[in-house]
Amino acid sequence: METKSDIKLRTLLDRRTPGHSLEQEFYTSDSVFQADLEFIFGRHWIYVGVEPDVSEPGDVMTIEIGTASILIIRDDNAQVRAFHNVCRHRGARLVDDAKTSVGNLVCRYHAWTYNLEGTLLFADHMTGDFDKSCRGLKPVHIRSVAGLLFICLSDTPPVDIDEMSEVITPYILPHDVVGCKVAHTSEIVEDGNWKLTMENNRECYHCTANHPELMNALFAFGFGYAPSEDNAEAADEARYREQVAVAKTTWNKAHLPSAEIEHLDDRPTGYRCERLIIDRHGESQTMDTHVASQKLLGTLTTPKLGGLSFWTQPNSWHHFMSDHIVTISAIPVGPEKTLVRTKWLVHKDAVEGVDYTVENLSAVWKATNHQDGDLVAMVQRGVRSPAYAPGPYSPFTEGLVEKFCSWYVARMSAELG
Amino acid sequence: MANGRQMYNVKLSRSGREFSCAADTTVLEGAKLAGFRLPSSCCQGMCSTCKSKLISGTVDMKANGGIVQREIDKGFILLCCSKPTSDLVIEK
Ligand code: FES
Ligand code: FES
Ligand SMILES: [Fe+2]
Repeated sequence: METKSDIKLRTLLDRRTPGHSLEQEFYTSDSVFQADLEFIFGRHWIYVGVEPDVSEPGDVMTIEIGTASILIIRDDNAQVRAFHNVCRHRGARLVDDAKTSVGNLVCRYHAWTYNLEGTLLFADHMTGDFDKSCRGLKPVHIRSVAGLLFICLSDTPPVDIDEMSEVITPYILPHDVVGCKVAHTSEIVEDGNWKLTMENNRECYHCTANHPELMNALFAFGFGYAPSEDNAEAADEARYREQVAVAKTTWNKAHLPSAEIEHLDDRPTGYRCERLIIDRHGESQTMDTHVASQKLLGTLTTPKLGGLSFWTQPNSWHHFMSDHIVTISAIPVGPEKTLVRTKWLVHKDAVEGVDYTVENLSAVWKATNHQDGDLVAMVQRGVRSPAYAPGPYSPFTEGLVEKFCSWYVARMSAELG
Repeated sequence: MANGRQMYNVKLSRSGREFSCAADTTVLEGAKLAGFRLPSSCCQGMCSTCKSKLISGTVDMKANGGIVQREIDKGFILLCCSKPTSDLVIEK
């Protein structure tokens, strides 16, 4: 049966004006938020973390998405698995900690005990005809894409993850995610709808004015721009073009794929990647643009390789440098609250205080996240007003914001049926 | 020695209780024989319910996934699958 809010949502989706931000309800209403959880976060591949989060057998990480809690586990055969964090007896949450390490998974209510493959090993006081084999933990689909972990809560996940994996793996592999460790994690809750977090991530229109630390390292040109009449900017653009040409030669020699691949709004598992140059010393997204860690990743031998950027729908962005990786997920918490979780990865043998310091490693993105959180909250406060009406995107600098919104609208419409 | 069996003294540090436990009996079983009921469930080294800290002494433990190396390194044992190999003091 069709509910009133379904009809409302369909109407809102149908009447969306392309090239414009979304109507107010999309950013504020609880029923749209619930639909986002069901249709977007319940039926697409959601980026949740990296293989080094669970590097050893028995390592467990919990991820909360809406009311679902998911266990990400490294089993005894070193395979990464995912299960619903719900006991099959009377439903107690099995693991409370964000990260822990276990031999078996034990429910502390009545001690039902599961192994790392999710099989129920032990349940006391049940009758003889009780079949343990029907009471294993409910599995969740999980895929490692070159070490990045994606889960899908649906029974029938989008199959195009295979295609994305095939295309992106050669880009990421030289940075050897699996050979990294998580050097630092930060979590901030932005006071805004998750779509505002994502829209903000998909443009650098706001970068020059708001991200002094990040703009030490990045050229806004890498994210779309308007050809300028302004001389200073034209000179900057010329300098950018020149440096890209030089970098391409280096990248080709090092067998690093660099060409832009963009499938943000033409498939369920939308993504985009491109290797971009870094300004000044060109090495890393740090305050001084030099590497933050002395141990280069994987088999890389040159520090000055710019950065591979990778974006996925609906909820992630990543930057892979020669010395470290910054990897970020956005998880909706409420209609006007979004968790932004950032991880900094370095070579697993890099020693803190010797090869790197967390402070230097995380300075740029800590500042950037803080600034972005502030911007998102500012937009949320504005779109809540009765005066808010969808405004136009710049065709030059906000093309990827439009792709996010058109992906969202298309996926919601398709899933709503 | 009792009936020719090697016996060890087990002391529970919090409650101050003491009992003797045979070398071929698990600490959990030994406690039960002495009339002390300690938390347990699977009795097979799987569920961790009986996990306790060993303050002094040594045991022979045959765990079954109910404890990880890191906990063992910190001095934890599973009482249901540990047999004493010396006198013990357990935090209980
Ligand atoms: S609810 Fe988990 S054992 Fe009873
Ligand atoms: S009672 Fe289950 S591990 Fe000891
Ligand atoms: Fe930003």
